[in-house]
Amino acid sequence: MKPDALVAVARAVFEAAGGTPIDPDYVLPADIPLELSGEAVRARLCLFTDHRGAEMVMRPDLTLPVAQREAARREAGEGGARTYTYAARAFRQPVAPDDQLEFTQVGLERFGYEAGPDADAELFALVHRAVEACGVQPSGVIMGDLAVFPAFIDALGLPAVTADLLKRAFRQEGGVRAVLDAAARPLEPDVASVLDAADPAGALSALLAARGIPLAGGRSLAEIVEGLAARQAAIEAGGLTSGAREILQALREVDCPLAEAAASLSALAGAHGLDGAGAAIDALGARAQAVLARVPAAGLTARFRTGFGRRFTYYDGFVFEVLAPGLAETQPVAAGGRYDGLLSGLSGRRASATGVGGVVRPDRMVRVRKGVS
Amino acid sequence: MSRITIAIPSKGRLKEQTEDWLASIGHSVRQIGGERGYTAEIDGIDAEVRLLSASEIAQGLIDGSLHLGVTGEDLLHDQAPDGPSDFEVLKRLGFGGADVVVAVPQAWFDVDTMADLEAAGAAFRKAHHRRLRVATKYLRITRRYFAQKSVGEYRLVESAGATEAAPATGTADVIVDITTTGATLRANGLKVLDDGVILKSEASLTRSVRAPWSEAAEAIAASLLRQPRAGTKRPI
Repeated sequence: MKPDALVAVARAVFEAAGGTPIDPDYVLPADIPLELSGEAVRARLCLFTDHRGAEMVMRPDLTLPVAQREAARREAGEGGARTYTYAARAFRQPVAPDDQLEFTQVGLERFGYEAGPDADAELFALVHRAVEACGVQPSGVIMGDLAVFPAFIDALGLPAVTADLLKRAFRQEGGVRAVLDAAARPLEPDVASVLDAADPAGALSALLAARGIPLAGGRSLAEIVEGLAARQAAIEAGGLTSGAREILQALREVDCPLAEAAASLSALAGAHGLDGAGAAIDALGARAQAVLARVPAAGLTARFRTGFGRRFTYYDGFVFEVLAPGLAETQPVAAGGRYDGLLSGLSGRRASATGVGGVVRPDRMVRVRKGVS
Repeated sequence: MSRITIAIPSKGRLKEQTEDWLASIGHSVRQIGGERGYTAEIDGIDAEVRLLSASEIAQGLIDGSLHLGVTGEDLLHDQAPDGPSDFEVLKRLGFGGADVVVAVPQAWFDVDTMADLEAAGAAFRKAHHRRLRVATKYLRITRRYFAQKSVGEYRLVESAGATEAAPATGTADVIVDITTTGATLRANGLKVLDDGVILKSEASLTRSVRAPWSEAAEAIAASLLRQPRAGTKRPI
């Protein structure tokens, strides 16, 4: 079967689930992915400069431009739940020699529906069905939940400054290790005394004037004071306790069959006397059950990993990838997840709605079918 | 087999110092067509010699259109798509030294390290709904170093010149730039982060890994490393 035929098959699966076909903008302002995801994604983007000198990008996936349209629709005051389906070209700089710069994604995005285990499982089942309909038997499924690590951090009851730092570090390669290894460094006495002043911003301003230092860059005096206070708080909080370190280390290493994920995490929380992570673990367990009920075949191969999907920048909950025989783990045939914060981020907090979506990659499935036959 | 291609800097201090170094090992440079010419001959070396900008030399070494060249390591590191495996430094020449550094406003008393910068970037994004701007001409070096330090909360702004002025003029908040003494940075109200030295760069004799290498070509590279050339008068 040619790629076009697989595109048609996958598309039919998604359209049968209902929804409006959509082919959004090909070209977006580069600010959209770069502000949302940071410079780490720049190396994968197909960027160019338009005639006015503005940096533009060919859409790197369909989720972003579809979500952008949905955010604009909601900002204009419209509401309701919406499902969109697409079979459309996306553009990314290849990382592997056999990856194409231009490829087709067939998928669906749902906005404004109730979030929960059933909604996640239903989306996953649909994507899994699209893969099978294309004649590909998945060789593996990897699932993650980007809410689990933050829930454990909250349950540890760390000072806010440390907790925020660890949550951000979780989403960076090597970040948590860097945080665990770093020690907060003391402030100069003159600088620390700014925090004790009745008007810290005024005191900081006077200190800068006394030293002949100009205020450059986009951070205000108040923001610098806030930074000083956060650093002072980190110093006073001291480093992480050895108990907290052990939990985080063990948590990062969880890699188990999906069916056992909730039990593994519960055992870890229980061993360290953490009660606060219960809700996140229950949600994970309920989702795993819902997934396995709908897609029993996934029970044989599906695994859960704590760190999985942490680099999928705008996802914030359930994440998954579907693997196929003969392709590397970096080349999944399908992927998706939940991004309840995406519309809010795209609209500068002016619109908000739950979001969940997934895609299949017909170009990769063609290679799997060739390899198998 | 055609002759190998060697490139040396076409202007400024780097050109003079490269010529002095070559002369010191017994290979004097004679520019063809006078000061405005773009080719040269090197005494005792059978090669096509081009005078190019330091940036063109780095590019030619990386893409394989040059065999050997003298250029700054900062340019090599920044222009190499796959990093240091894209070129091979044969010899650091001891001149053209400068550091590529991360510098922030001195007023940022709360930011002394890359980890502090990460925290400041996160707070900034929360308050302004956009990321801190980092001005630089070293886009790849910056991206690699920030990733290595697990700093993700920033945006790059490409800077063509006078990068050190960007925080004062408001086009960026942080810079990654080259510095020798730090005086220009200080004059612009900036400080280098404690772990902000990304690269200590020097002019270096560099070998292309992509250019086609023959035995004769290898012999020429070897002769530039064996110094001084036989029969060269040593300075007394």
